[in-house]
Amino acid sequence: MAVLNRMDWYDLARSTNWTPTYVTEDELFPPQLAGAFGLPQNAWEKYDEPYKQTYPEYVKVQRDKDAGAYSVKAALERSRIFENADPGWKSVMKAHYGAIARGEYAAASAEARMMRFSKAPGMRNMSTLGCLDEIRHGQMQLYFPHEHVSKDRQMDWAFKAYDTNDWAMIAARHFFDDIMMTRDAISVSIMLTFSFETGFTNMQFLGLAADAAEAGDHTFANLISSIQTDESRHAQIGGPALKILIENGQKAEAQKRVDIAVWGAWKLFSVLTGPIMDYYTPLEHRKQSFKEFMEEWIVAQFERALTDMGLELPWYWDIFLKDLSETHHGMHLGSYFWRPTVWWNPAAGVTPAERDWLEEKYPGWNDTWGQCWDVIIDNVVDGNMAMAYPETLPYVCNMCQLPILGTPGKGWNVKDYPLEYKGRLYHFGSEVDRWVFEQEPERYAGHLSIVDRFLAGMIQPMNLEGALAYMNIAPGEMGDDAHNYAWAEVYRALRETRKAG
Amino acid sequence: MALFPLTSNFEGDFVLQLVAVDTENTMDEVAAAAAVHSVGRRVRARPGHILRIRRQGADEFLPRTMKVADSGLKPTETVEVIWQMPHG
Ligand SMILES: [Fe+2]
Ligand SMILES: [Fe+2]
Repeated sequence: MAVLNRMDWYDLARSTNWTPTYVTEDELFPPQLAGAFGLPQNAWEKYDEPYKQTYPEYVKVQRDKDAGAYSVKAALERSRIFENADPGWKSVMKAHYGAIARGEYAAASAEARMMRFSKAPGMRNMSTLGCLDEIRHGQMQLYFPHEHVSKDRQMDWAFKAYDTNDWAMIAARHFFDDIMMTRDAISVSIMLTFSFETGFTNMQFLGLAADAAEAGDHTFANLISSIQTDESRHAQIGGPALKILIENGQKAEAQKRVDIAVWGAWKLFSVLTGPIMDYYTPLEHRKQSFKEFMEEWIVAQFERALTDMGLELPWYWDIFLKDLSETHHGMHLGSYFWRPTVWWNPAAGVTPAERDWLEEKYPGWNDTWGQCWDVIIDNVVDGNMAMAYPETLPYVCNMCQLPILGTPGKGWNVKDYPLEYKGRLYHFGSEVDRWVFEQEPERYAGHLSIVDRFLAGMIQPMNLEGALAYMNIAPGEMGDDAHNYAWAEVYRALRETRKAG
Repeated sequence: MALFPLTSNFEGDFVLQLVAVDTENTMDEVAAAAAVHSVGRRVRARPGHILRIRRQGADEFLPRTMKVADSGLKPTETVEVIWQMPHG
């Protein structure tokens, strides 16, 4: 029997809109879920997906991808890569799995919203496959770390993190809830697929795949490259929707969603990916600095994606470009200093050689972040460990839920961006975080940051022990220095030499 | 006498921090309470300096003996904690 070519039947087969007669169009596609932006159904029927794949094709390709990634894992299971890996690399894996694995399942439900409620048949088709992608990503990124759970309690956070009140998870949930769990189908396509996935997941997964291969962790490198091939397909769901919105006079609304999502993604990456690339990855395995990576992926590539689409650069682009050299250094210093509150062991990454690298990549590092690290290093060398830990909470932003920080030392520019709204004083880490709040205050106003919860008496007793219990950090899971402070030996030796000389 | 939370933005440090003070505390006591969480942890002590308190963005420091209760500061408001050479 002759089989038609895909393109001879694809358009017809996925034209599944009809005119409802038993219910109204609004009942079939409730506006809150569909996000029709006041456009008639036939406007959405013009949605032309750039990536046309049929279900049998999809299944065949995905089966091959799974077979590839799982067979690499099986082949290397006895290779003791995990046991022999640099502790900094283990921390990369733990941070990644905890922050990402369950978020993939959440993304499956966001894809499912587009699949059911989008008025664009092409989008429904693409996100059916996208939903299956995300289920696969969730499953793989839980299955792969599972073999390490018996060796290391922190690996359990691959599954556990998403259900906890750990501050980093509150931040991740706040962002993902905002861009994908509580938005209509069209907004999800703009905020999750176009804004977050096109720019940022590309970066996390390609960057990490390169670092993993360098670190000799081929299982992890294969896993995330495999995931990335799905992402680069379903990340294209938002593009045609943006085109329709712009053609129909909805550019401002589309732009606003892009601006909100890109900023939130940037903040999350500054705490997750920035420290990984510039501090945790062993120096000899670093390909590019975080800033260089961001400049290549976000500034060069994503900027083009935006302008090709007919959108503007976000209004805060100058702030963003400046922050590329600053924010993640503070996020690293913060997660290191408050290390008992994370589920991985941060690597300090501040040996003299690493500091030379930082100074080269970020001129002025030693006079700024280096000044704070000088004090920490002295305390570690002196064995004055009580002073190498915090005794209070950092103040966190009521939008990104991350510490409000800036450049220390000689470049001191730390600033609060406060806002009083209905009698409550909110604090933000930047003009942009505050702007996001102001776009739709009621959407965010009820949320309590970890500091708000502490002040409301929700964290008891009001000390580190109470905070750890609130964050669900069990004994054996609390973070500490990845290398057990072995890096301080070189400073100890330097001091001895100085004394002798 | 009541517990009063403030946000400390300490000169030379990298992050805002929660500092619990009392409404009866003076600005010098507020500065000392803020210093506990910055000086010797991530900021070096500056011999010969004292620490002054000002509202974020203000040019003038609040008087050293002014009490929190009389300062008009709101709970969790951010204060800048600034090194100063006395009579300098
Ligand atoms: Fe995914
Ligand atoms: Fe995805």
